[in-house]
Amino acid sequence: MKQRRLKIIAASTILLVAMVFLVLAMTTKTSVLHFTPAELVANAEVNDQQNLQVDGVIAEGSSTWDAANFKLTFAVQDRESNETVNVIYENRLKPDNFSDGGSVFVEGKYDATNNMIVATKLTTKCASKYEGAESTSSEKSSS
Amino acid sequence: MFIEDLIVDIQGLTAELGQAAIFLSLLAALWSIVLLSIGLTKRRPNLVRSGRNGIIATFILISIATGTLIFGFVTDDFSMKYVVEVSSAAQPLLYKISALWGRMSGSLLFWLWLLTAAGGVVVLQNRRSKDSLADYALIPIAIVQLFFIVLVTGWIEGVYNPLARFPAGQIAADGQGMNPLLQTPSMAFHPPTLYIGWISLTVPFAFAVAALLSGRIGSDWIHRSRRWMLFSWIVLTAGITLGGHWAYQELGWGGYWAWDPVENASFMPWLLGTAYLHSVMIQEKRGMLKLWNILLITLAFQFTLIGTFITRSGIITSVHAFAQSDIGGYFLGFILLSTLGVIALIVYRWERLKSANRLESLLSRESSFVLNNWLLVGLTLIILWGTIWPIISEAIQDKKASVPESFFNQVVVIPGLLLLFLTGAGPIISWKKITPNNFKRMFIPPIIVGLIATGIAWIYLAIKTVLKDPNQIDGGLFANIPGGLLFSGEKFPIFSLLCVFASVFVLVAIFSEFSRGAKLRTKRQQTTFLNGLRLLIQRNKRRYGGYIVHIGIVIVYIGIMGSKGYFLLESESLKLGESMEVGAYQLTMKDTFQEERENYFRSGVVFDVSKNGKHTTSMRPARHFYHKAGQGDQDTIESAIHGVGMDNLYIALGPLPAKIDNTTNVNAQVYYNPLIRVVWIGVAIMVLGGLVAITERSESTTST
Repeated sequence: MKQRRLKIIAASTILLVAMVFLVLAMTTKTSVLHFTPAELVANAEVNDQQNLQVDGVIAEGSSTWDAANFKLTFAVQDRESNETVNVIYENRLKPDNFSDGGSVFVEGKYDATNNMIVATKLTTKCASKYEGAESTSSEKSSS
Repeated sequence: MFIEDLIVDIQGLTAELGQAAIFLSLLAALWSIVLLSIGLTKRRPNLVRSGRNGIIATFILISIATGTLIFGFVTDDFSMKYVVEVSSAAQPLLYKISALWGRMSGSLLFWLWLLTAAGGVVVLQNRRSKDSLADYALIPIAIVQLFFIVLVTGWIEGVYNPLARFPAGQIAADGQGMNPLLQTPSMAFHPPTLYIGWISLTVPFAFAVAALLSGRIGSDWIHRSRRWMLFSWIVLTAGITLGGHWAYQELGWGGYWAWDPVENASFMPWLLGTAYLHSVMIQEKRGMLKLWNILLITLAFQFTLIGTFITRSGIITSVHAFAQSDIGGYFLGFILLSTLGVIALIVYRWERLKSANRLESLLSRESSFVLNNWLLVGLTLIILWGTIWPIISEAIQDKKASVPESFFNQVVVIPGLLLLFLTGAGPIISWKKITPNNFKRMFIPPIIVGLIATGIAWIYLAIKTVLKDPNQIDGGLFANIPGGLLFSGEKFPIFSLLCVFASVFVLVAIFSEFSRGAKLRTKRQQTTFLNGLRLLIQRNKRRYGGYIVHIGIVIVYIGIMGSKGYFLLESESLKLGESMEVGAYQLTMKDTFQEERENYFRSGVVFDVSKNGKHTTSMRPARHFYHKAGQGDQDTIESAIHGVGMDNLYIALGPLPAKIDNTTNVNAQVYYNPLIRVVWIGVAIMVLGGLVAITERSESTTST
């Protein structure tokens, strides 16, 4: 009886440790840091050639869609300042809800010399004018 | 004319009527809580009855409030704030109604309405019950209702009353309209299905609390809430899949699951509910895991709230564009308080929660259930970890961070495959302890068939890799030894092969369970095999319904393996007459089209699709320009999907100019998704199995 319980406890401990180890290892391996454009520009050299995510808004009038080369370029602007980071997004469709002033999360590799991100993933949220009063107030409190 | 005037007259009153109803429902819910508590402790049946009536009254009052809001939508009452935000005069009726859950305040009211309906059903179901377990269960239900009622009163900053009007006499000319992305049938049905699934989870949780309150910790509370739990599980299964299906059709990225925080929020209660459905069987059969079951259902219920907390609090940024507000704090508070309440009750009833038996062997059906539970709970915790990693990261390293999709895809594989194996091993392993005979008879045949299938799949995958790129024969590590071909390719498809092995193992194990039982019946009843099979399922719907669910799970796994592991993606910029290739398919841009629809303009191109030079079909991907979208210049991707056997060819288009001519570049993103239809079929089978299982009546008298 005692030996049996020991076996069960040993088996479960091994399983648990293995799982925790796997999860922690994967977290450190895949985790990407988030920056605001201002933070990124301020620490450009440190983050050169790093995979990271930038959260900001699509700068007014900055986006161009080059249909011939299947390429989207725009600047992601800081919510609180005028700092921007350029973004190139190639061979992928422009996501729905992509419009000037809208929130955007850009994931990709940062190139410090050109202050540019070669994006692998874009996530958009509705522009604040569409979100209405409900979120404009909270946007301030959450940022 | 007369009718229009009448509508305007009624509009002048409805919102106020609804607001009054919400306020009264607050009193009714309080009334229920107080009277049920006093009535049950002092054993006063008439107080209890009055408490039950309070639950019914809450339902009626919230129905009135919801009804007035729907009336506002249908009659375009643009003096109401919420109606203006999510509806517009041109919006089709279906989306005027689905606008009810289009934004936060309305969705809270809708949630509350479903919750009060669940309360009403519990009262009706148990009106002839001889004991008071259900009356105890009404107390936690009413407490949860009270919480949601407070949220919709408009007293909390950041959440306005969905029935609120604009200040004195202001009326908007038209509404802003609902987000065009949400104006599709699956998006109209997906949120309410999930809500119904989440809310029905409240009932088994309430019965667990009732067991603790009343001290009747036997299996009664499980039996009485079994069908609610199964119902919730079925609805959640369907609801989560509808969401994936919507994303697949509408969002244009060719996939159906991206581990977005909101998707995870819907998936975690499902995982916990699945664990619970299994662990209760151990309590019923062996009198074990009593405490665990109560904890598990509590956790599952809390995760439905955590889901809402995650999506509404704004602490985690998500694609799902629900507005953020202070409401998260209230949810967190309620989650913590109610969990503490349950823990206090558990401590109070500690003596009665002891198990009647212990695990006897690591290799037994009991252990397989326990392992299943650990894996499901473990998966939930892993997904939770990944979802809230931004918060954890900020707390421990003071840096904002997140984990991408690939994190989830990689960490769920091993527990997922173990679970898959268990769906076959669990049903055939013997109780208490596995015997050599049991192993020989039940395990050897499926293992052998599984190994054969794995070998075939291995050779098939190797040949496919080589056909695709002959250079890889030389690149392989084992290229120079006989059979080295099998190891060529970028990486050895270990997980695919494990998935094939486990899938075939499970299918053989389950099908032989069916055929063994059916043959026995056939012999005993002197009837045909099919009839025997029907009798078998009819006599034990719960068990064989569960097996059907297991078959569905295997099929879903196969579909996921194909569509997530082997999809092809090509993006190209094309002019009229030009073509591109995806796998074996050639797509030629033939023509363009423009169509005027009820509330949008549809513009797109026609692709001629051919395989090996033979014309197979034509596809018409498009973009929609909504007239009243609230954001003017917004157009949305409308992908074209063509089924090829179980696979899909999928085209999504980039922005189009108003007029396309021979020089215009059209951007096409084309996916070939193998076995994706298998996913939908598998889920349908899971739902079917659930429906078979739910038809079995619970034996409510037995208790341990």
